Amino acid sequence: MPQVTIAQNILAPNETIAAEIQQTLTTLQIRTLNIMSSPGAGKTTLLECSIAYLRNKLRIGVIEGDIETSADAERIEAAGAATVQINTRGACHLEAHMVLDALAKIELSQIELLIIENIGNLVCPAAWKLGEDLRVVVMSVAEGDDKPAKYPQMFATAQVLVLNKLDLLPYVDYDLEKVKRQVFAINPHLRVFEVSCRTGVGLDAWCEWLVDFARGEK
Amino acid sequence: MHELAIAQSIVDVVEQRASECRATHVKGVRLQIGEASGIFPDSLTFSFEMLAGLSPLLEGARLLIETVPHLAHCQHCAREFVVEQFVPRCPLCAEWSADILSGTELHILEMEIE
Repeated sequence: MPQVTIAQNILAPNETIAAEIQQTLTTLQIRTLNIMSSPGAGKTTLLECSIAYLRNKLRIGVIEGDIETSADAERIEAAGAATVQINTRGACHLEAHMVLDALAKIELSQIELLIIENIGNLVCPAAWKLGEDLRVVVMSVAEGDDKPAKYPQMFATAQVLVLNKLDLLPYVDYDLEKVKRQVFAINPHLRVFEVSCRTGVGLDAWCEWLVDFARGEK
Repeated sequence: MHELAIAQSIVDVVEQRASECRATHVKGVRLQIGEASGIFPDSLTFSFEMLAGLSPLLEGARLLIETVPHLAHCQHCAREFVVEQFVPRCPLCAEWSADILSGTELHILEMEIE
């Protein structure tokens, strides 16, 4: 019975497309973020607030990933950014070929920053590269302070963490210092922003970082 | 659900290679899966067997999974250590500066055909 060597990364087909996307966007001088979180952490609200804050400073395009509905794309469009909705019809994460199809529907010459909002899920999206330059995890204080330890792969493969809904801290049992200890143990280089989209606290630092990142200054 | 998508990728790659080799049947596929890859081997095996059952070329094919430990190298004391729960801290000198050596693999090594 012959043995045939394959020696291939299982996700190689996805990673080939992701590398093509990154190459295309880099050539066009567009920088790209892949934003991930559990459902309800506030990804879409963070984008709405960021787009409004940066309206005259940065041209942003958004790819919205959701299992169903175009509700989030409508919110982002209303906030003032070019938006394409991807509906995965049940799939729990975005894959690079979906992003490639969506890119054809965005006027790339009109944007400096592309934000891909992934499906709300702290597990699967971590494994699929989408052509992003950096990965951002959004986590709200209402989710409980044990999430980094429970979903380490997501926090280990991200470069930025946005802690959202800070205004709820007085009402929930959430130990901010414990969370920071957990995330820095898993990923000592993680950049952390503490924000509340509801009150606006911390959004200035986050949005200024977005501008620096989009202009290539990180 | 995650493992099902991974299993579909394996079936796609194996079907393509098997038809290139003009195989009539694939009997087994050997993988290397890192402990930090986020994949649960039992779920992957379950998903793979289900999808293989739908493929004339792969029907009844077995999945053999080699697990690769999550290892790191300490830049400070130069020792190799096992990373526990994704925390890459050297257990000997307690330093945080470590390079990950293995554990994120998701590789198809080979297949057995006839």
